[in-house]
Amino acid sequence: MLTARIKAIAGHLPEGRLTNDALAARFPDWSADKILEKTGIAERRIAADGETALDLAEGAARALLAKEGLDPAEIDFLLLCTQTPDYVLPTGACLLQARLGLPTSAGALDFNLGCSGFVYGLSLAKALIESGQAKRVLLVTADTYSKLLDPDDQSVRTLFGDGAAATLVEAVEADAPLIDPVVFGTDGKGGEHLMVRRGGFREPSAGGDMVLRMDGPAVMAFTLGHVPKAVDGLLQRTGRTMEEHDLFVFHQANGFILERLRRKLAIAPERFVIDMREVGNTVSSTIPLALAPLLQAAGAPRGAPRRAMLVGFGVGLSWAAASVVI
Amino acid sequence: MSALYAGLAEIFEVDESEISPAAELAAFNWDSLAIISTLALVDEVHGVLLDGQALAKCETVADIEALVAKETA
Repeated sequence: MLTARIKAIAGHLPEGRLTNDALAARFPDWSADKILEKTGIAERRIAADGETALDLAEGAARALLAKEGLDPAEIDFLLLCTQTPDYVLPTGACLLQARLGLPTSAGALDFNLGCSGFVYGLSLAKALIESGQAKRVLLVTADTYSKLLDPDDQSVRTLFGDGAAATLVEAVEADAPLIDPVVFGTDGKGGEHLMVRRGGFREPSAGGDMVLRMDGPAVMAFTLGHVPKAVDGLLQRTGRTMEEHDLFVFHQANGFILERLRRKLAIAPERFVIDMREVGNTVSSTIPLALAPLLQAAGAPRGAPRRAMLVGFGVGLSWAAASVVI
Repeated sequence: MSALYAGLAEIFEVDESEISPAAELAAFNWDSLAIISTLALVDEVHGVLLDGQALAKCETVADIEALVAKETA
């Protein structure tokens, strides 16, 4: 059967770094050690002035093409997930098509999701491939949330970092699907819990006021309430068990929330991936950045395939869960 | 409530003997991180998710216990 699979992933991070020492100097009631202990994050990568999500997206895509030795002409669809676009219009994916030299016959579109975006993107790529409309989909996640943060808001500055990831999803022949049907969830009633109020057309920006506000307790309650249900929903939809999954790669929101989820779902620590210490919460790129080192290197002999559960959750509120073979 | 008290002591980084119903939360740095941690603690101990805003308004340990009692009733 024709099935979509995750072939390769490459990340790209800006050079700038925000360390816990720098944060502790700005927010004296938290020591650098306490920030690390509570968030699981040692440093975040921060885009420079004039460096945008599209620049990071291009860096990740170029790294992926180089790593795979892939000709841009072989990509027939480009999906770009970002909430920090260069322009209101045109579509960032169109600009990225030109920058990368993808064929003009390629389809390209942006979709605006945050921490659930990678899993949604996988579902879109799977649908394009398994319906015969595309053979090689380039799924790029990229954001520069640092540009939306209030410098005095400790609760978000300790968590978010900038970054991008490019994932190649391609058509292969296999005995069984390599990406199971994805399960989704949406609750727009919680939209205000993670929100940049200004800068759209409802409340135009007056300059300098495009700021992310997060209601931490509400987001925590949402996560602890909905993520376990999404996991149950995925198991029911796919007929799989927790034990069948070798790895669990959840959105890397922060170390505290991940540890709570791990305990609530009774997942063994060695199967539960936590990989955000050097990058922080990179929004839609956390799952592919954590997944990248777990994929087999190009050209390496293929070992036993492993099954991973991916769960994205956050701004929207929006969530999605997938079971994939890597 | 002992699991709750032990958890609160851990969150506030104080000895468990300092946690009593009358204990004032303001004395323990009742900030957003403490509120988030308490929300997760109550979920783990009692299996209920409190409303963050209601939790933020609690002034004493007894207020938290009353909120939990209301949710588990």
